[in-house]
Amino acid sequence: MLLPRFDYYEPATLEEALRLLSEMGGNARVIAGGTDLLVRMKLKVEKPGYLISLRKIPGLDAIVRRENHGVTIGPAVTAAELSRNELLLDRFTPIALAAGRLGAPVVRNRATIGGNLVNARPAADLPPACMVLDATLKLKSFSNEREIPVGEFFRGPGQTVIEPNELLVSIFAPIPAPWTGGAYIKLGARKALEISMVNVAVILTLQSPQGPIIDAKIALGAVAPTPVRAFAAEEFLIGRQPSDDVFAQAGVIGVGMCEPITDHRGTMEYRCLMIETLTSRALRQAYEKALTWKP
Amino acid sequence: MKKTIQLTINGQQVQAAVAPNQTLVQFLRDDLGLTGTKHGCGLGDCGACTVILDGRAVNSCLVLAIQADGCDVLTIEGLAEDGNLHPLQQAFVDKGAIQCGFCSPGMILSAKALLDEKPNPTELEIRTAISGNLCRCTGYQKIVEAINEAAEVIRDREES
Repeated sequence: MLLPRFDYYEPATLEEALRLLSEMGGNARVIAGGTDLLVRMKLKVEKPGYLISLRKIPGLDAIVRRENHGVTIGPAVTAAELSRNELLLDRFTPIALAAGRLGAPVVRNRATIGGNLVNARPAADLPPACMVLDATLKLKSFSNEREIPVGEFFRGPGQTVIEPNELLVSIFAPIPAPWTGGAYIKLGARKALEISMVNVAVILTLQSPQGPIIDAKIALGAVAPTPVRAFAAEEFLIGRQPSDDVFAQAGVIGVGMCEPITDHRGTMEYRCLMIETLTSRALRQAYEKALTWKP
Repeated sequence: MKKTIQLTINGQQVQAAVAPNQTLVQFLRDDLGLTGTKHGCGLGDCGACTVILDGRAVNSCLVLAIQADGCDVLTIEGLAEDGNLHPLQQAFVDKGAIQCGFCSPGMILSAKALLDEKPNPTELEIRTAISGNLCRCTGYQKIVEAINEAAEVIRDREES
């Protein structure tokens, strides 16, 4: 399968990349891992005249801890890197787990967090994980810079608020409060190279190991045109003592937030049942993780 | 317009002019004649084109040749030493993990990337490491056994 012709640029600085983007606008695409973009170009879904590579720009592939208040993740950090990062596994668990379920090792070694967010596929692994961690995305153009909460970033399948002259330059997530645990569950027909039938990311914060729940965030993927937060289920959980019964009820409420479709991966009815089951299961896992929290 | 790239392939310095839309697998096969790397689906689904790029197994159909500028590439041709098969290659033969052979280079390179990082992998780690490589003949059991055996051979060799 052949790629259409294009011109290729490898700017050595961020400024140069942003200048190129502002000059070429809609006719250019940014390439990092290429595992989505090159496939779409081979299938002739996209035909950009120019590709701008992030490969030579220093710093975009770094995970940096910000003292005690958060972590900054560069857009060119690979899924493989995210999945084995100790800080992410410990404090930002859903991101590390979701990254470890994306594609297969040969894909994870190239695919990046920036690409997974910007491509905005409804079933993508990392968007729900970033949503429950309250991540903020920094978008930069040659003349401007803005920060967008990840929950306001997605507009529809493949659609985001990013402008053609903007680049996603970093992802920031604040460190969750003490006694927080997180989980990510992906359901597909097989364990690798799979697109989610349903996925769910969860963060649960306890006041102390004895409870009660003081914060909860639930985000679901592949259940609507964009990943969605199950706000009603979150509100239900806050103030309650954690128990299997409470988690099961949250799952039932979570289904109400979703509008899944029927397709070759699963029917609407099956997806609804799975949202319920997986939400309560993810809450239970997050709860168990919260109990192991260490300063 | 073609651009000049410099990279190391199987330990040898290579300099070549490539078109931007040329993938690494096309460059290896068509320009260098290294046809051990197979071109399967071209979409990152089958893993037949797996090579090791800077120590990590990747689908070479989803890497532009130009993106490999300055990188270190290992293909199946670079595994044998002095005419002796690499323990992974030998184990694939011994264990009957090869039938048509089309997936074998990719399987072996994914396995090599695993063993370089984890010399003593569990069965689950082996299965995960080759989860991006599809085989349509043998089933995966013999492949997993071969990788396990090769891991033992390599460990024994390094101890002695």
